[in-house]
Amino acid sequence: MKKAPKNYIKLRIAFVGVCFFLLISVICAKAVYLQVFCGSWLSKKAAKQYEKSFVQEGKRGTIYDRGGNELAVSIEGTSIAAYLNQIEDKPSASRALAGILRKDRRKLLKQFQTRQGFIWVKRQATPKEVSAIKTLGLKGIGFIPEYNRFYPNKSVAAQVIGFTGIDGNGLEGAEYYYDQVLSGTEEKYTVLKDALGRGFAKDQDTEDPVYNSIHGGKNIILTIDRNIQYITQTALEASVKEFSAKSGMAVVMDPRTGEVLALSHYPSFNPNVFKQYPRHLWRNRALTDPFEPGSTMKIFSAAAALSSGICSPSTIFYCENGAYKIGANTIHDTHPRGWLSLQQIVKYSSNIGIAKVVEMVGPETLYTTLKKFGFGNKTGLDSPGETTGILTSSNRWSKIDSSAIAFGQGVSTSAIQLVSAASAIANGGLLMKPFIVQSITNENGRILKRTAPEIIGRATSPEVASTVKRIMQTVVTEGGTGTSAFLDGYTVCGKTGTAQKTDESGTYARGKYISSFLGFAPADNPRLVILVVIDEPVGAHYGGTVAGPAFQNIAHETLQHLNIPPETKKGAIKAAMITGVSG
Amino acid sequence: MWMVMMFIFIVELLFYTWCRVQNVQNGYEISREAHNQKQLVAYQNSLKIELARLKSPDRIAQIAKQQLGLIMPTTEKTILIP
Repeated sequence: MKKAPKNYIKLRIAFVGVCFFLLISVICAKAVYLQVFCGSWLSKKAAKQYEKSFVQEGKRGTIYDRGGNELAVSIEGTSIAAYLNQIEDKPSASRALAGILRKDRRKLLKQFQTRQGFIWVKRQATPKEVSAIKTLGLKGIGFIPEYNRFYPNKSVAAQVIGFTGIDGNGLEGAEYYYDQVLSGTEEKYTVLKDALGRGFAKDQDTEDPVYNSIHGGKNIILTIDRNIQYITQTALEASVKEFSAKSGMAVVMDPRTGEVLALSHYPSFNPNVFKQYPRHLWRNRALTDPFEPGSTMKIFSAAAALSSGICSPSTIFYCENGAYKIGANTIHDTHPRGWLSLQQIVKYSSNIGIAKVVEMVGPETLYTTLKKFGFGNKTGLDSPGETTGILTSSNRWSKIDSSAIAFGQGVSTSAIQLVSAASAIANGGLLMKPFIVQSITNENGRILKRTAPEIIGRATSPEVASTVKRIMQTVVTEGGTGTSAFLDGYTVCGKTGTAQKTDESGTYARGKYISSFLGFAPADNPRLVILVVIDEPVGAHYGGTVAGPAFQNIAHETLQHLNIPPETKKGAIKAAMITGVSG
Repeated sequence: MWMVMMFIFIVELLFYTWCRVQNVQNGYEISREAHNQKQLVAYQNSLKIELARLKSPDRIAQIAKQQLGLIMPTTEKTILIP
């Protein structure tokens, strides 16, 4: 009677023990399953609740002028987006947003009712708009940080700098050409969030120099001087307005290096709101648009004649008293002239005279010389869309062609080609490669790459360059065509140009001219080569009258800005110093 | 003996909890300061842009000519110091 209950208790204990063992085994098995087999999946699921991933584009680099002034900067802005599936009341949300953003409510509602999950409501919204929408506390409306490109100097050097599109990619000018350099790299990063959705620990800071040195774009420093650019722009605008011209452009270059110090167009545009301006104003026309240079070409024809050794500045030519027949064509001079020396032909800008010079030296010599000066080839300037201009081979020239090309008709060049060629005369015969980017730096300003001046080749001998310079000096003296470009205190070398424009049919249009002035100063040690081109002036059309005064203003103010003393004053100082020493 | 063990264990637990709380607090503080720094850098950037705008030659020239009555000096008015 006593044994039976004892055995029964043992059995119960064993049974409970087995049950516990099985239960623990199941728990252990489940634990092993969760830890070993589902570990990584569960970790990811948990991480989703407290981690948030972002993709951030590195900050685009800044564009500076040669003095370190900002010309294009990136600033942090906010774009407003809508996650359509999360918006509870689409009609009222669209009404509220349309009111703040001044958009059409119906259009916005239509966008909200599409099947897309995500749409942009407004890219690069203003801080006022962002804060007003934030206060609404609408569900499904997101605020995405983005960079806006800002150009603090507005239209100053707009065609050189260019602009970026809404996604921050360069579309024109240096912004386009150096897009790869300026663009930051894309980086994915994770932010920890607590249960209330607050950021925890340090977020990725895109303004952090360390972050930027890794992901930010590089900065570029242009050769453009903001002040010279302004001087050029102001003088050009005044000339275009004075002669009610269609447009104008001006280029200033340092002939010693090929650095472009200023490049301006009028009318221009404001790159901050580039869409409000016609597309043709966006491009850098000094580089992309070829034009017939007119009489400015005579200095290169004179260089060809002098290089040949057949002519000297005093060689005389009969200028047929104003009309000279070549085959079926007759060329004219503005003022009838008799015998003129080569120097006088350039000074008075005689078409007949220069035609006779080319007849003497031959078209091959002219063609070879023009090629050496860079005509018909791209200069290689670091900017998009450069034209080669038009210079056909001398084999295909008729007699009238070679004469016309000698005085700048039947040949076309870009403004930058013309300035580069004139720089070769100014610097003693070396054709320099023009450039607009001086250096590329990192976030801390350390120079990563510097553009060194590059010689393309020798355009002419130093002796010929020096002789052409002396001839060019006479153009701005009494009786010359360029007296309006005379500078008090400095010796100026220059040449006027007046070219007839062609119409749609390809024939020369009556009353439509391109007036230009090409020159450099000071003559002894040229620091500036300046070209002013005015398109279709009204009332006057001679280069000396229309473009000469603009050249004078640009040269005078720029020489003052660069602290280049007047030559007459330098002489006085030297004399004073010599007297002081000897006394 | 057991009492001592329990005491050490509880002290250790409290110390660990305090460390965790401090860690979380510091995390929030870092986050807050980073946000402040970001705002200050953004403000500094906007000041730089404002400075660039104020220094623009167009504005300076207008002030010089219209408010101060300055003109570009002629060659005769330039004095060079040897």
